[in-house]
Amino acid sequence: MTTSMREALLDPTGAAEGANDSTLSPRPVTLKGLTVGLLDNTKPNSTLLLDEIAADLKRDYGIGEIKHYVKDYFGTPVKDELFRQIVSEVDIVITAVGDCGSCSAATVADGILFERAGIPTVSITSDSFAMSGQAMADVQGFPGFQFVMVQHPVASLDVEHIRGRADQAVPDALRILGVTEIV
Amino acid sequence: MSTTVSVDHALASFREMMATDGYLLTWSEVGGDKVVVKIDASDGACEDCLVPLPVMTSIMAKALDPTGYELDHVELPGSH
Repeated sequence: MTTSMREALLDPTGAAEGANDSTLSPRPVTLKGLTVGLLDNTKPNSTLLLDEIAADLKRDYGIGEIKHYVKDYFGTPVKDELFRQIVSEVDIVITAVGDCGSCSAATVADGILFERAGIPTVSITSDSFAMSGQAMADVQGFPGFQFVMVQHPVASLDVEHIRGRADQAVPDALRILGVTEIV
Repeated sequence: MSTTVSVDHALASFREMMATDGYLLTWSEVGGDKVVVKIDASDGACEDCLVPLPVMTSIMAKALDPTGYELDHVELPGSH
C-alpha cells in the first residue's frame, strides 16, 4: 500500500482503491503459536495496556512471539514503512489506545488498514471516544468494523487499574478475532 | 422550543466527548433547516486531539439525522 493510498484512507469520498473494502481478514480461530504485533500509539499507558493484554493471551491462549511497535504520532494513521514492516512480521495486530478524538479515529483507521491487508486486528479505544472511532469506520467505508472500547480514562490510571482495563478488553478482543480455543 | 431541545439532545453526547479534550461545541440554525456546528478550544485544549474534519462532519451529520435538520458545515478552531 502506497503512502498516497494510506492518506486517501482519510478521504471521505472513498475514492482510493480498496477504500470501500469492508471484508474482514480471515479469522484465526486459535491464537496458539501466532505472532502478535502490539502497536503503541504513544498515548500514556498504551504500552502497559497492550503488555497486560498480551500477557493474558500468552497465558490462556498460547500466543507465540510478541513484537512491539511504536507509531511516531497518535493522531494520524500508521506510516507506510512501519505499516509494511508490521504486515510482513505478524499474524495479528492489537493497537491502543484511542482515548482522544484524533487518536481514537486514527486507531480505528489503523485497524481497517491492517484488516484490508489481511491481518486480523483489534483496535482499542476508550468508551468516551466510541463515536469518533465509529465515525472513522463510517468514513472509511467499513461501518461494521468492530473495535474494543475500554472504560475511560486510561492515561491517568495506575498499574492495577490498567490491569482491570486489560481484563475488560480481552473478551471483546477474542470475540473480534473469532477465537474460542483456550490452551 | 422543542426543535432546539432536540438538536441539543442529539449533540449532547458528542459535546461531552469534545469537552473531554477541552473543546466547546455550539450550534446555530441557518436557512431554517440546516445547522452549523462550531467547535472552539478552551484554555488547555489538547490541540493534537481534535477529530479530523471528515470524521467530525460524519459524526455531526449522523447525529442530526433524527432532528429534522441537516448539517450545513462544521467550523473547527482557526477556521472561523
